[in-house]
Amino acid sequence: MTLLRVSGLHSRYGSVEALSGVSFEVGEGEIVALLGSNGAGKTTALRTVTGLHRARSGRVEFAGRDITRLGAHRVVAAGLGHVPEGRRVFPALNVAENLLLGGYLRRRDRAAVAARREEVYTMFPRLGERRGQLAGLLSGGEQQMLAIGRALMLRPRLLALDEPTMGLAPRTAQQVLGVVREIRDQGTTILIVEQNAHQTLRLADRAYVLETGRIVLEGPAAELARDDRVKAAYLGGDPVIEGT
Amino acid sequence: MRRPAGAEAAVRYGGWPLLVALALAAGQGLDDYALTVAGTILVYAILGLGINIVVGYAGLLDLGFAAFFAIGAYTSGLLMLKLGWGFWPTLPASIAAAAVAGAVIGYPTLRLRSDYLAIVTLGFGEIIRITVVNLEVTGGPNGLTGIPPVSVGGRQIVLPQDFFYLALAFFVAVLAATALLARSRLAYAWRAIRADDTAAEAVGVPARRVKLLAYVLGAMVGAVAGPLNAAQLGTVDPSSFTFLTSLMILLVVIIGGMGSRPGVMIGAVVIVALPEVLRTVQEYRGLFFALLLILIVILRPQGVWPYRPRRLRLPDAAGPAPEPPSAPGTLLEVEGLSRRFGGVTAVDGLSLRADAGQVVSVIGPNGAGKTTAFNCITGMIPPSAGTVVLAGRSVRGLSPHRVAAAGLARTFQSIRLFDGMTVAENVLIGRFARDRGLLRPLSRADLDAVRRCLDFVGLLDAADRPAGGLPYGDRRRLEIARALAAEPRVLLLDEPAAGANPTEKQALMALIARISALGAAVVLIEHDVALVMSISDRVTVLEYGRTIAEGPPAEVQDDPRVIAAYLGVPDDPETDLVTEVLR
Amino acid sequence: MTEFVQYLVNGLTIGAFLSLIALGYSMIYGVVRLINFAHGDVFMIGAFAGFGTLTALGATGGMALPAIVAAVLVGALTTGAVGTGIAKAAYVPLLSSPRLALLISAIGVSLALEEGVKVLTHARFKSYPNALDGGRIFSGAVHVTWGQLALVVLSVVLMAALWLFVTRTMTGTAMRALAMDRDAARLQGINVERLILVTFFIGSLLAGAAGVMYGLYYVQISFGMGFLIGLRAFTAAVLGGIGNLPGTMVAGVAIGLVQSFSAGYVSSRWTDVIIFGLLIAVLALRPTGLFGERVVERA
Repeated sequence: MTLLRVSGLHSRYGSVEALSGVSFEVGEGEIVALLGSNGAGKTTALRTVTGLHRARSGRVEFAGRDITRLGAHRVVAAGLGHVPEGRRVFPALNVAENLLLGGYLRRRDRAAVAARREEVYTMFPRLGERRGQLAGLLSGGEQQMLAIGRALMLRPRLLALDEPTMGLAPRTAQQVLGVVREIRDQGTTILIVEQNAHQTLRLADRAYVLETGRIVLEGPAAELARDDRVKAAYLGGDPVIEGT
Repeated sequence: MRRPAGAEAAVRYGGWPLLVALALAAGQGLDDYALTVAGTILVYAILGLGINIVVGYAGLLDLGFAAFFAIGAYTSGLLMLKLGWGFWPTLPASIAAAAVAGAVIGYPTLRLRSDYLAIVTLGFGEIIRITVVNLEVTGGPNGLTGIPPVSVGGRQIVLPQDFFYLALAFFVAVLAATALLARSRLAYAWRAIRADDTAAEAVGVPARRVKLLAYVLGAMVGAVAGPLNAAQLGTVDPSSFTFLTSLMILLVVIIGGMGSRPGVMIGAVVIVALPEVLRTVQEYRGLFFALLLILIVILRPQGVWPYRPRRLRLPDAAGPAPEPPSAPGTLLEVEGLSRRFGGVTAVDGLSLRADAGQVVSVIGPNGAGKTTAFNCITGMIPPSAGTVVLAGRSVRGLSPHRVAAAGLARTFQSIRLFDGMTVAENVLIGRFARDRGLLRPLSRADLDAVRRCLDFVGLLDAADRPAGGLPYGDRRRLEIARALAAEPRVLLLDEPAAGANPTEKQALMALIARISALGAAVVLIEHDVALVMSISDRVTVLEYGRTIAEGPPAEVQDDPRVIAAYLGVPDDPETDLVTEVLR
Repeated sequence: MTEFVQYLVNGLTIGAFLSLIALGYSMIYGVVRLINFAHGDVFMIGAFAGFGTLTALGATGGMALPAIVAAVLVGALTTGAVGTGIAKAAYVPLLSSPRLALLISAIGVSLALEEGVKVLTHARFKSYPNALDGGRIFSGAVHVTWGQLALVVLSVVLMAALWLFVTRTMTGTAMRALAMDRDAARLQGINVERLILVTFFIGSLLAGAAGVMYGLYYVQISFGMGFLIGLRAFTAAVLGGIGNLPGTMVAGVAIGLVQSFSAGYVSSRWTDVIIFGLLIAVLALRPTGLFGERVVERA
């Protein structure tokens, strides 16, 4: 069943067209990746889907409901979580407060929020150990875990992740992608934007390749990983493979 | 396509002689009332040209500009009344007094953020106003009265028509001076610090001096209006230098368009003539202005006549390239560099050496202290210990623009260009590390260097495009071109391959090879291990601020500690990652 | 010595409501990075609303406590509404514009409020009815009136309530998060525009209460009263480290003391020269204020 359907999405930054008619779908329980180099429009696509950026035209449907014109806070309420690029934890709040805010929309039920927070601590024991520490003082990998944990507080049906491995050392990056798989296995659909094509294609079920605001390739991840065009354009210099 | 230079200049500057001719004619035709109003418009236009330097060019919001108006008026008035000076000698004295005041307020506040600065200038304006009201020598609340009229060639300027011509002469002189200033290297430096003062400083613009000059020169221009106004009225009234006056002056540039001289003229007309038109509804004047201000900001934030950048006229062919820096051997030598933040040691005893023509790379997991090390080397933050020697000279503890001038250029991990400026202008700012002249026009050498560097990175065709509109890859290349304009001995590149696809990475590697072939030493921070290993002569690996390996790529690559810390075991994504990360 | 104690008492009283105004500057700066220039004028409107309430109730003489409480409430709620309205009309539309545009808009709003009240009041001063108890707690050389005590207590209560709100409630935590990262706050489901308006409401509420307190203490009010008081309070917010609420409270009291002592030992004509001189000197030495900022700038 299709959970997220994006059709003909156009969007601009100032006078520059960032998305020129992007369409893609994410089925329930899938891991779908949006790949492409910097400036291809991956982040804009995600931001437009989750309402942080306004679409000029096109349509975004989530669980059968039109969410194209909803503000970001209402998209979250509809069950679409977004872990933004660069993690964006609240640096001067502690880990517990960051997670609390992840449950903001359920603030009327404080007990449920607290219980969910304990579940997140069970998933990420390191966050539990550091619950009193300011988020800004966590390491990059820990911050990424916190950002993901924060988005899981509301039990979203679909979790959108924007470059969760950015700026992380390869080993940590691998671990973060492992966590993403784990989350899907527990029942959350995943839409992931990545530059790290090689590792992402091993993780994803299907993938779309973006170039200058358009989808240029799509298909099952395993097929794309063998596609010569993808190899030439995106897989050439994978550090883990070539570097060691 | 390209308009001939003469025609462009005619379009660009033709308006002013026409306007002056019109004004001269108007001087004959208008009645006394209209001429008085016109004279006041010119006074405000002069004030507007002054604040335009501070706010429009340098982007430093000033909410107390009336202080300089007051200083000019009081200096002139007091010198005439108490010491019996004539009008003309008081003019340079007034300008000098304002210059000193500009430096006094500018100097201690240079490090402040823009909105704090606004409040400090407001406070300064109030200090000046309250002081002149409280002191006896300035006539207290009554101000100065009985200021003698100006005499020009024995003729007393008392009639509105005569005053109008006098004001017109002042205005034309100030306009010419500010037009010259707008073409100077200083004006480019101002626009650069307005866009990003940290980046400007890092590529060689002496940011503090440039800001201070904005205050001083703006104050000097504004001060001219003081004596003129005192001469027009015969009095200096402290109630004409309130916060409201400062706001009116600011409005002149906001209505007109910041940085735009024609805009200033329009703004002055609106500010002075409108209240005259609204004379019948005197009571609502202030309210009307307030609403006008809000409306303009919401509807036309860039002003009525926005500033348009002038195209840099690059030479058709660059002159001969400069001699490559003839200092072979070690260009950069870092020894025992440490930096502590509170209890955390971000960089711990880093040593780094780069010889002419070499590419040296620093790699390490995130948070290993790579960027902190760069910031210590380039003077952006002072190191806690260690030495940094550049071509035989210690640069440790120097401010970034001095380090840049000593021959060390850099790029930023998060690309910091001057977005409001064109591609060519961005490269031009890189030239300040070579040539720190401010109060003179661009030299042939400047334009040659811009052309050569744009050519080198392949951006010549984009020279006149705004840097903000460039695609990502071009922005990286432009930043490198800007660094090259400094003709650096050592070039530090902070993750230049971040976000590049393999094709772009190939091009980048070729570019780096060409740069090192010029005889410079290139120091690279990168995440992309493959890229680093293929182009580096030596590699340093950091972890938690400490160097864990150093040597030629082949050796470093096989070092088990490096593999463990950074590269990871190549192919086991299926291990139980969740628990592993978290423990 | 008695002089000194008297100035101290007066300074603490003035500081109590300067702190309240300063807190508004600090909170609003935190969430929208705007020096809300109109904040001093919001304070002025609070004074007039309180004045209207007291005259309507016909309060005279003695400790007309119910009337005072009503005046503070009406004043605070009026300014809360005015502040929110301003934010909605003149600031929220400019949230994505350059910061300078927002600041200039705020200057415009400040001028509009001042000029609007000037027209409405025919530029006349108004005098608060003597609702505050002039009775002394201590007689003798040093005066401390029950009225002064009431003002200080009220202001301490308001500040304590604010502190609890910001640190203990979900909305307060969301407000701090919003000050750090607007987009990330949106992604937690926070309705950012509404939370900004809530911040304006609370900040303006405190300023309005301070306005009524000012009227009760100084008696005379006018359309122009917000400008200088606003500047002094802003100075306090900057000295305290903008966005740093405890620092702002302390700095507000400090500025009140400076004002009182400079008026006592120098001359009230020089008070503002001293305060602004202090502002410039402190910022020159410590560009982030005496107690450091709590505003996080993203790199």
